[in-house]
Amino acid sequence: MNTLLEGGEQLERELTPEPVFGPAAGSFVLHGLLAASIVSYAFFAGFFHHDTWGGSGGGAIQVNLVSDAVPLPAEQKPNDNVLATETPSPAPAPPAPKAQETVDTTAIPIPGKVEQKPKPVPVPVQKTPVHQPPPKPENRATYGEQAATAMPRAISPSASNGPTSINGGDFGSKFPWYVDGINRKMGTSWYKPEVDPRTPKGSRVFLIFTIHKDGSPSDVQLDRSSGSPTLDRSCQRGVQRVDTFGPLPAAYNQSTLKVSYYCEY
Amino acid sequence: MKAYRYLPLTLLVTLGFTAARLDAQDWVRTGTNLGNDKIRLAAADFKAGSADPQTPQLKATFDATLYSDLGAAGIFDLVSKSMSPQASPGAPGEINLPQWAAAPANASMVAFGSLAAANGRLSVNGYLDDARNTSSPQVLAKQYNEAASEEMARTIAHRFADEIISRLGGGINGVAETKIYFVSSRSGTKEIWVMDYDGQNQHPVTHLGTVSVSPRISPDNSRLAFASLGKDGWAIRMFSMDLNRLVSFPAGTAGGGNFSPAWSADGAKIAFSSSRSGDPEIWVADASGGNLRKLTSFRGPDIAPVWNPRTNAQIAWVSGRTGLPQIYTMDQDGANIQRLTDGGYAISPSWAPNGKFLTFSWNRKYGPGAPGGQDIYFMDIASLRWIQLTHSAGSNDYPSWAPDNRHIVFERTLGRHTEIWSMLADGTDQRQLTHSGNNFMPNWSWK
Repeated sequence: MNTLLEGGEQLERELTPEPVFGPAAGSFVLHGLLAASIVSYAFFAGFFHHDTWGGSGGGAIQVNLVSDAVPLPAEQKPNDNVLATETPSPAPAPPAPKAQETVDTTAIPIPGKVEQKPKPVPVPVQKTPVHQPPPKPENRATYGEQAATAMPRAISPSASNGPTSINGGDFGSKFPWYVDGINRKMGTSWYKPEVDPRTPKGSRVFLIFTIHKDGSPSDVQLDRSSGSPTLDRSCQRGVQRVDTFGPLPAAYNQSTLKVSYYCEY
Repeated sequence: MKAYRYLPLTLLVTLGFTAARLDAQDWVRTGTNLGNDKIRLAAADFKAGSADPQTPQLKATFDATLYSDLGAAGIFDLVSKSMSPQASPGAPGEINLPQWAAAPANASMVAFGSLAAANGRLSVNGYLDDARNTSSPQVLAKQYNEAASEEMARTIAHRFADEIISRLGGGINGVAETKIYFVSSRSGTKEIWVMDYDGQNQHPVTHLGTVSVSPRISPDNSRLAFASLGKDGWAIRMFSMDLNRLVSFPAGTAGGGNFSPAWSADGAKIAFSSSRSGDPEIWVADASGGNLRKLTSFRGPDIAPVWNPRTNAQIAWVSGRTGLPQIYTMDQDGANIQRLTDGGYAISPSWAPNGKFLTFSWNRKYGPGAPGGQDIYFMDIASLRWIQLTHSAGSNDYPSWAPDNRHIVFERTLGRHTEIWSMLADGTDQRQLTHSGNNFMPNWSWK
């Protein structure tokens, strides 16, 4: 049984024609690839004549990154604000006209029936905490909805003072140490515990005052209220408590300095 | 017609507005929460500007004094000398600011300069640069020229440090040139001594050979009032610093004990406690000794007056009218009496130069076996809230404010030794100033 089967198998193998086309095609492809790689190697290695670039060295020019000198804009995430897109959407469709109250003309009025109006369902009033959104500093350029910090930094005169900036002069860039001094002095003379604890965190009151040559402040005015009278008053008192911010720098040629200051609770 | 009546007013208002417009000024916008850290300041070793043999010694004194003054100011985070760049720049052109601004120094301000001794003169050029502002870094430039001596090298360092402290500390002058008057028994008897604010240069003022206590220097540093034991008992004496001798103060010599003088801020009056009418009460006299009057008249002792140096309109003092001594304030005419402390044993008030704070010595749980001890406290007068400044370190008494509102000097008894210490007004940075004999009752000069 066994030998019989073996003999049959052998016979079958001998009768089957050998596969020629498969290996032949494989061989052609392999040789073709080989030739192509040799040609391309020769091409890239410069055995063929073509325009040479960038001097004798290689095929590339050496460059230095210039990001030290030129401020590269920060990477920005795609802006999904429709107002900032280049292909503005068409004007919104006009609002649908209000549905008129339909009166069933076929209905026969029932004499004596008092029509009851449906009771209005009381809409739960969502209590929103009295929250004053912190007013945005107005000294920043705002383009569309982009964050102002995405602007290249190098064009601003001074980036050392954080939110401190200057309007109509270069005091802040010439004398940042004096501006730091104002912050430091106000930090010690403003008493936060004077503020009503119910004041929302992040509330800001903006004051304007004048510093004279000898460093004494005057004309303390409320520029923008925080909505919390105690915060407004405590910040004003903070300025009034200061005897002197120190004489204005000798190199500063004006007689007074106008300061806008905010206290943030 | 009516319109014409208002014309001048309208004109004036218009003119006022125009004038305001014309008066150009710079604007700065700033706010809170922008960081209120101490200024990181580096003090470079000064560059020796001459080959004079005196120069190295004077330069060492100068560098050490400047560094210690800036460190003691309490408003700087001083860069350790081991972290500073090695170079000692002598002029603005020689300094490499980015090197100072970079780690490990991380300085935001650099003090540097040059020092040269030549022909018996010492000339110093000192500069202060803002290391983070490379476009216009210079904050301060100063030149000093004095006789070449150790004393003057130290004085110049004090002056330059005070300039820096005043410039960066918001216009409050430094205390590097101030003096501390105190009582010392190191010569055998209790005499009045004086020293620099850092404990250097101690020398005696009086040589009376009796017991002298409670020195109080006048606001203009010209006269020293103190209590001294004479043939009529305790009297208020007056020592002229200009004439270097005692001058008369007739109001302070009447019978009974006269103690604890206090100058008014304008130097025109002296308050003191006197028991000439029985109980010790607060009396006020002119600085010349005339025009004497009594402010308090209660049972129980009233002692240790001190004027509000800011308004000159109030006096704080210690009264025993309710038993144990407590701190009170009153107007300078004796009206409007308020009690500040709520118990314990409170003595030796000293009023801060800005008028807002009081420091005094307090034993809050007084009595045999009670916990705690005599410690220095700090009180905000408006709110009556207090902070304890010294903790479990001996017995502390006689605090006295420095004119910058940032430092307090006091006496501390540890074991059998009483010495003078100073600290920042928050209780940190305590330094012992005297080390020989027993020293008491410090009084910080007004300027």
